[in-house]
Amino acid sequence: MAPYVYDQQQMSVWLWAVIRRNGHEKGNEWLAQRWQLHQETATVAQFNQTFTAIPRFTGKHTITITQEEHQLLQEAVPGFFVQGWTLDRLARVWWLLQLAVTDKTIYLDTLDKLFKAAEMNELAALYSALPLLPWPEEWIARTTEGIRSNIGIVQAAIMQQNPYPAQYLPEPAWNQLVMKAIFTEKNIHLITGLDGRANATLALMLTDFAHERWAAGRTVDPLQWRMLTHFTTAANLPDIIRVLQSAVSAEREAAALVCAGSTYAPAKALLLQVPDIAAEIAAGTLTWQSVADKTTRS
Amino acid sequence: MCGIHDLTEKDLQPLPYTPAYLDKIKGMRFFDPHVHMSARTTDDYQAMADAGVVALIEPAFWLGQPRTGIDTFRDYFSSLLGWERFRASQFGIKHYCTIGLNSKEANNEALAEAVMEILPQFIYKEGVVGVGEIGFDDQTPLEEKYYRAQLELAKEAGLPVQIHTPHRDKKRGTQRSMDIALEHGLPPHMIIVDHNNEETVKEVLDRGFWAAFTIYPFTKMGNERMVAIVQQYGSERIMVNSAADWGISDPLAVPKTAALMHESGIDLNDIHLVTYSNAVTAFAQSGQINEDDFNIAGNIDQREKFNGSTILRGGQQPRVDKNTTIIR
Repeated sequence: MAPYVYDQQQMSVWLWAVIRRNGHEKGNEWLAQRWQLHQETATVAQFNQTFTAIPRFTGKHTITITQEEHQLLQEAVPGFFVQGWTLDRLARVWWLLQLAVTDKTIYLDTLDKLFKAAEMNELAALYSALPLLPWPEEWIARTTEGIRSNIGIVQAAIMQQNPYPAQYLPEPAWNQLVMKAIFTEKNIHLITGLDGRANATLALMLTDFAHERWAAGRTVDPLQWRMLTHFTTAANLPDIIRVLQSAVSAEREAAALVCAGSTYAPAKALLLQVPDIAAEIAAGTLTWQSVADKTTRS
Repeated sequence: MCGIHDLTEKDLQPLPYTPAYLDKIKGMRFFDPHVHMSARTTDDYQAMADAGVVALIEPAFWLGQPRTGIDTFRDYFSSLLGWERFRASQFGIKHYCTIGLNSKEANNEALAEAVMEILPQFIYKEGVVGVGEIGFDDQTPLEEKYYRAQLELAKEAGLPVQIHTPHRDKKRGTQRSMDIALEHGLPPHMIIVDHNNEETVKEVLDRGFWAAFTIYPFTKMGNERMVAIVQQYGSERIMVNSAADWGISDPLAVPKTAALMHESGIDLNDIHLVTYSNAVTAFAQSGQINEDDFNIAGNIDQREKFNGSTILRGGQQPRVDKNTTIIR
């Protein structure tokens, strides 16, 4: 099997163009020199040194990206998303694409050591690169390990606007990702593939979690109900009804959206109780996006 | 470890006065059966001693930063038995620990195997009062494998087991933890199920296990909720701990909860059971706890050394007086 499952050379060229456009002359020149040196010597020590040193030379300002550039990246690797990244992160991700894939063992060993010695921003860059790394199935265990991290930017690099987890994680690891995102108060609306990977086990975990929160007198993120849309059952219907009768408008709207998307007749029938909200959903003015906009935390 | 929520600068300032709750619990003795002191400062030891904490258990857990080699595990276990125990003794607090491979790090199979190899060396050491904290985090097959293997170790050593129940999918994780312990032939009275809440407590008690509650801001229990639990379920087999660690947590959670229970009219005997003696009874099944050792407070000399080091940093004066709650 080919190491890369997309056109890595083309991606590398596009990313380089974005880096050059966002970088200043000195930083660009330094990166070009390091690339030249890497082509000539290809030593792991040089590779690692450059990876680590990148922010010293590129700076850490947030990049801008044109609509055309965004389009190109999306077509090459659907869901791959670099908006809001800092230049050092983008440069590090690009740099990872320069490592030779001629020997899989050496490649995996090099990345393993990079992960093990990485500080927070390096980890964020490494996990941000997941959708672009060769041999995609090799990063499943590493990704589940990253989800266990308690460092916010590391979690976010995996959980938010990253297509890799939805595509490759087995169901238990995926469910942990979602639960941990909720637990650590991430904006779960930004999890790529949220609807497609919803499942009955996750729905059960989410209702149990809501019961704990309620018993403790705590609130529940309205967005978490979204994953129940295709898993409404007689067992969780009382929860949907409770949320539908909440004093918080975002919760009522979330429950109504679940009912509107559900094919379970008793859930659908609940919409009759909230004709105003149902009308907004029918008109397209109330969506999960609008609920997310209202409740977004991070 | 969770969000900062509504904390303000004001909440984080040290109190300029002696808190009133100390009056309510004057003369009471407390045992905190779960607190990660290696993540805390000596100021915390002082405050705990002043509030009446006479002994504590430090379970082996995760440092926040994943470990990448066996040596760091060995050093960590050794520090719980060595430097940390010494540090506690300098404040008149008797330090015990539980030793185990935590659930998060059980997912690194190569490392987990290496840890299993050194565990028997550590769990028989003096003052190790249980295997812990073990159990589930993500509830993966590897977590289950090493949970089971450690239950076997505990059984062979006749040690209590301190179970960490998961933050996510908690209810089912708690049930599964208990089912598996019974499957391995461990009796419920040897198992302390930790981090309970309103949704798990009933089943844990009904099945005869010890139910521990962690008073930890935002993510676990608040102490007003704890008062309600004791009012509803009584004091049998219930214990309170702080699980204070590197997160926003409170090493005085046990004395503060005792004060709140007192204020709420809970019987003094019940308070004593849930903040001291139940935990002593549960973990004394290890044969490693002697309550007479809790009276070492009279003989503190902070000038003592451990491997040539003292807890006093450059220029600090030793604190030998333990009779004031004011820290100047």
